[in-house]
Amino acid sequence: MSTYQAPLKEFQFLLETVAPLAELSKLEHFADATPDTVRAILEESAKFARDVLDPLNWSGDREGSKRNADDSVTTPKGFKAAYDGYRAMGGAALPMPEEFGGLGLPRSVVTLTDEMLHSSNMGFGLMPMLTQGAIEAILLAGSDTLKATYLEKMVSGRWTGTMNLTEPQAGSDLALVKTRAVPQADGTYRVFGTKIYITYGEHDWAENIVHLVLARLPDAPEGVKGISLLVVPKMLVNADGSLGARNDVKCVSLEHKLGIHASPTAVMQYGDNGGAVGYIVGQENRGLEYMFIMMNLARFGVGLQGVGIAERSYQRAVSFARERVQSRDVAAPKEPSVPIIRHPDVRRMLLRMRSQTEAARALAMATAYAIDLSDAHPDEDTRKANKAFADLMIPIVKGWSTEMAQDVTYNGVQVHGGMGFVEETGAAQYYRDARITTIYEGTTAIQANDLIGRKMAREGGVTAKALIGTMRAFAASMGASHNVNLKSSQAKLIAGIDAVERAVEFNLSNFNSNVRACFAGSVPMVKLFGIVCGAWVLARVALEADRRIGTGHPDKAFYEAKIATLRFYTDTMMPEALAAADTIVNGADGTLALAEASF
Amino acid sequence: MKVLVPVKRVVDYNVKVRVKSDNSGVDIANVKMSMNPFCEIAVEEAVRLKEKGVVTEIIAVSAGITQCQETLRNAMAIGADRAILIETDVDLQPLAVAKLLKAVVDKEQPRLVILGKQAIDDDANQTGQMLAALLGWGQATFASKVEVAGDVATVTREMDGGLETISLKLPAIITTDLRLNEPRYATLPNIMKAKKKELAIVKPADLGVDVAPRLTTLRVDEPPKRQGGVKVADVAALIDKLKNEAKVI
Amino acid sequence: MANLVIAEHDHGSLKAATLNVISAATAIGGDVHVLVAGHNASAAASAAAQVAGVSKVILADGAAHGNLLSENAAAQVVANAASYTHILAAATAYGKSVAPRVAALLDKAQISDIIKVIDADTFVRPIYAGNAYATVKSNDSVKVLTVRGTAFAPAATSGGTGTVESVDCVADSGVSSFVSAEVTKSERPELTAAKIIVSGGRGLGSGDKYREVLTPLADKLGAALGASRAAVDAGYVPNDYQVGQTGKIVAPDLYIAIGMSGAIQHLAGMKDSKVIVAINKDPDAPIFGVADYGLVADLFEAVPELVAKI
Repeated sequence: MSTYQAPLKEFQFLLETVAPLAELSKLEHFADATPDTVRAILEESAKFARDVLDPLNWSGDREGSKRNADDSVTTPKGFKAAYDGYRAMGGAALPMPEEFGGLGLPRSVVTLTDEMLHSSNMGFGLMPMLTQGAIEAILLAGSDTLKATYLEKMVSGRWTGTMNLTEPQAGSDLALVKTRAVPQADGTYRVFGTKIYITYGEHDWAENIVHLVLARLPDAPEGVKGISLLVVPKMLVNADGSLGARNDVKCVSLEHKLGIHASPTAVMQYGDNGGAVGYIVGQENRGLEYMFIMMNLARFGVGLQGVGIAERSYQRAVSFARERVQSRDVAAPKEPSVPIIRHPDVRRMLLRMRSQTEAARALAMATAYAIDLSDAHPDEDTRKANKAFADLMIPIVKGWSTEMAQDVTYNGVQVHGGMGFVEETGAAQYYRDARITTIYEGTTAIQANDLIGRKMAREGGVTAKALIGTMRAFAASMGASHNVNLKSSQAKLIAGIDAVERAVEFNLSNFNSNVRACFAGSVPMVKLFGIVCGAWVLARVALEADRRIGTGHPDKAFYEAKIATLRFYTDTMMPEALAAADTIVNGADGTLALAEASF
Repeated sequence: MKVLVPVKRVVDYNVKVRVKSDNSGVDIANVKMSMNPFCEIAVEEAVRLKEKGVVTEIIAVSAGITQCQETLRNAMAIGADRAILIETDVDLQPLAVAKLLKAVVDKEQPRLVILGKQAIDDDANQTGQMLAALLGWGQATFASKVEVAGDVATVTREMDGGLETISLKLPAIITTDLRLNEPRYATLPNIMKAKKKELAIVKPADLGVDVAPRLTTLRVDEPPKRQGGVKVADVAALIDKLKNEAKVI
Repeated sequence: MANLVIAEHDHGSLKAATLNVISAATAIGGDVHVLVAGHNASAAASAAAQVAGVSKVILADGAAHGNLLSENAAAQVVANAASYTHILAAATAYGKSVAPRVAALLDKAQISDIIKVIDADTFVRPIYAGNAYATVKSNDSVKVLTVRGTAFAPAATSGGTGTVESVDCVADSGVSSFVSAEVTKSERPELTAAKIIVSGGRGLGSGDKYREVLTPLADKLGAALGASRAAVDAGYVPNDYQVGQTGKIVAPDLYIAIGMSGAIQHLAGMKDSKVIVAINKDPDAPIFGVADYGLVADLFEAVPELVAKI
């Protein structure tokens, strides 16, 4: 039996290394986020995840959300009560500005609380994630009236939010959006159209749902520059803030899907009865621009889903491997059968799961820390440099963490053997739930395109090269340690950085002349960056662990595990990075060789 | 009305402790520590009494090492108004804790002290009763329901074969059982506010209490391992084993 | 050395727990006296006097003890404690309420829940919910102890030749008073709170058989009823009976698994039970690997026999 236990000690260590909270709480903006307060917040959130959300995960998957004949949606048993508890705790308010009832906590902290949500119950965690996104959009571009009407209620979790982008013909390519928004004399709009894949588009947790909808005005220019963003509430809001009439929007069906069954994925119909009342967010035709600013955080959030589900899958696999007795120890064939954790290949699988999860988490934390500094540091150059680093990392956090989650949850099932293929052990659910993460909020290829194009080629590789320099300087500093494992990892890290440099050079020098070759290697580029940057942050953590062991710290086993995990990772994952670099530099011809007609 | 709630920092109830290899105790280095669950119930009950308007101020108090401050902050996040830490590195035994608490009661003059019935580390189940005796107050142990009206607390207690209701003249001591309430989660805004509440630190010597241990733990052992897989011949043999060996029926 | 046992009684008779405490006192050595603090409790006192090993019973009879309030009981013990080196009570709700008050009034430490007497100063007691056993030595001149009943065999209720000596009853403390009592009705306990669970698997064959065979046993033991997933899936019993990874996680004192194979998912839900009994006709069923006591037998014969003989 496996109960989710948030890796609080690991969280704490990250807040002392790659995302030093003590530094953040020196900034005026985060003065309240002192280490002891944050520790208490993480512990309480961990309790909630363990005692309330994790026990609902499996039943939520079995039961799923159901649409009723009156267009309402019933979520699985226990979910509404869990949401009420989450709201009462103030969970929804963590990162939001204090002006609207939030707590203004740094992203470095929220990253960890979000991970716990997704580890314990991804189907549940989607709701806060989407609502956060909707809040961000209104904060970013909404008028004062919109902010006053919606934000406080959304921050408190009383109302929830959705993001309405996709349409049947407009998936990754939002230029094809057809939903119409027609301006009215009173300054509002009437919205008509169909939106699909709307997570929590309808549910029974809250009295109002605030839909953020991409639509096209009648006179809008073609393509991406003709899309506007509107707020369309499920219930209209009166001037005094009370709820008015039902708006002309409804859920017309729910998708049947591979995973995240607890969360309803709705098809939303706007304007069947004269038009849904909508309110413009920011300026007309600039919707996609706002959406992309906000999308950064949403993508980062999906990356955390990858980390969270991987952590949970690992915990369950370890718990099973300790208990399941099967076959003898290969080195002691005459002894009785042993728990399978004794078998070398099970060890390999578990460490592969663990090391990738820890690397992806540490990378997300390093990114979160950069986001915090880019928001709150008094020095403009520091803000700019951190913003550039975070922007570079976001497609990697999203693309790589979610791809590695596939590998981790695959092995999570594999460790269980046949017991993993049957649903009852719960291992299979993580495998299914993880599957969406490489798809929504931009597939891995979309992340990869963002990485090699917008984040690299467009700026001549300035930020990528700066990162390479930073990683090199760090790798050199590892030489101070006498630990043999760290020395071995240092050499492998340097080889990885060399590979990144080769691949970046290839991308920069071919982007204009041979762009198809660059895009043929875009997804391998995400993997290469993920693995190497993952090794870099793991090594930062391990170096500090080595230092603490040297000072006679009592928790030696924990710190030694950090070094051992790094060693495994650089020995077994780094070769995959080198292979990815080879694919980027030498693989394009092969990838593009086969004629389209021959497929 | 003022209420005092003593709280203890213990190994988290989810941690399965291991006996140290030298049998000197259990290994609690680097394990997660939390507020004793029965103490959480005590804090929750005090907060509910405050929400009902019966109680005006809740003072949380803990005795032990510096890190007990975290436990007190937690109590304040749930709803205690201020806190007192009696700071000492001495291994405190229940009688010493009861004497320390008596000194705090003498100073603060609460009308009610609500404690957990026992701590899940030493499982002693003594402190509340000892404090009541030292103060000459009435006590209601193992409370599953508490009502306070005027100068009287009516408490339903969980006894071995059922429930018993008694009436206590205030001031009095109540110790909590599991079913008294279900403690709330500290809200995250309240965790942040707790940081700003008053936490006073005193030493046992300031209170004039001798906390020297009276009991010495000579050794700590693993409980005997269960003997798995014994097959019994028939029903009679099974009943014999259950009655006389396992002693479970 | 002299031991004073605080009797637990209902005035008319002695509660069984007291007999275990008397055994513990006997194990310490020296005289064993029993204090009966009650109202119209001479019957309880004479019962105590007949218990093997008891040399004297002190009867404090008076209205103050009519409702067995801890404050008065503790005051009574202290009033009569002068000549004793050991004061013992059962680790029951009553004993746990009285003994610490006595200890505090005497300014002595208490050792709770002892399961073994090493010598007159040294005792073994469980800590961390029984996950460790501590051997504890008291440095005090008087030892106040509570005794875990299951660890000491009950003393014989006859054969004792104790005298009964009456002492003055203390005055009522005035700080507490009895209001009412409610004896628990013997409804079936909740699965997760039950001390004993009788659990059935697909070996029972049908829902009717499940009820016919298992209910009498559960009634007799005051046990909760559970089931394997296989039995739930087969429709024998509702979902909330299911014990296992995806059902309820239980850890009762006694878990009786009947007609179930012991799938790993089931074991995950009950393996922390203190004592596990398995009854199954297949000697190779995995359930026997975790059972403390396994009985290879046809459950349709063995379970009714168990009900009859238990």
